Amino acid sequence: MFHVIGRRSAPVTRLLASRGGVLVESVRGRKSRGDPVAKSKEGRIKVPPPVDPREMVVLKDRYTEYQLILKALRLEFREEVLRKKFEEETGSLAEERARQDAEEHRALMLWNQEENLRLLKARVLRVQKEEEEAERLKLEAVMKLEQQQQEFIKLKEKQVLQLQEEAKNFITMENLDQRIEEALDHPKNYNFAVDKEGRVVRKTVLQ
Amino acid sequence: MVHLSSLLLKKYHGGYVVIRLAMAGHKQANRPFYRIVAAHNKRARDSKYIEQLGTYDPLPNIYNEKLVSFNFDRIKYWIGCGAHPTKPVAKLLGLAGLFPLHPMTITDAERRRAQAELSAAAGAESEEQTEKPAEV
Repeated sequence: MFHVIGRRSAPVTRLLASRGGVLVESVRGRKSRGDPVAKSKEGRIKVPPPVDPREMVVLKDRYTEYQLILKALRLEFREEVLRKKFEEETGSLAEERARQDAEEHRALMLWNQEENLRLLKARVLRVQKEEEEAERLKLEAVMKLEQQQQEFIKLKEKQVLQLQEEAKNFITMENLDQRIEEALDHPKNYNFAVDKEGRVVRKTVLQ
Repeated sequence: MVHLSSLLLKKYHGGYVVIRLAMAGHKQANRPFYRIVAAHNKRARDSKYIEQLGTYDPLPNIYNEKLVSFNFDRIKYWIGCGAHPTKPVAKLLGLAGLFPLHPMTITDAERRRAQAELSAAAGAESEEQTEKPAEV
């Protein structure tokens, strides 16, 4: 009984049939091919609706006439649609519009070209300026580097001279005896006394 | 962003456009209301249509009128493009005047008139019969 279900808009509810407990979906066309006929419909013979022959003749005439008129109407409407389309595409107004569009396009392209030129000039200037800036900065950097190097050299030279100056007072193996003699001959007294007023007294008890 | 309508446009093989009535009642019970709609043949009755071309209210209003509306311009366009109207739509259009009157409209009217005359004659006869025994 799981019949193919046609299109349904309402949700399907499942019911248990009273006979044999078979699952049935409450949807139109519940009976499938092998299901037996219902008791109430056992002797039923399906008869098509009765047709009155006179009415049928009249009806046939009416139908032919109706179909004729409808065909004519359809052709009329088709022609109208085609004509509208034709007018739209190749009518006089369409030509005007096309011409105006072309004009507009040309004008806009010209304007665009001018804009491009203007921007090009601006860009060239800007790029030039930037290049010059870059050059200047590079030169400055180089100069700075040189300057730093120079300063470094000078510093080192000064230090070397300083050292040379101090080297004259160094004690070497040759000076050793001489300097010892000198130091022993001239004892130096580093003691002193200071007052709150700032009077310095260097003369002390010599030892 | 993916252009969604191109994913939803379905291609039908051998399908055609129909002008038909689609129920538009928002699932109100016992209150039908139809839209006259141009849609593909294979689509469900109430689902996505191409264009709405009018309305039809089957229940009569307080002045005993059933209101119908049509967009004749667009209907002519669609019929020109090859749309098929269904029987009820053809009948409505016949009553409106765009189409000729449908044969079945005329035939049904004639049948109803014959029926009404028959019942009137039967009523008159039964009245006479009741009067006669009363007189006698």
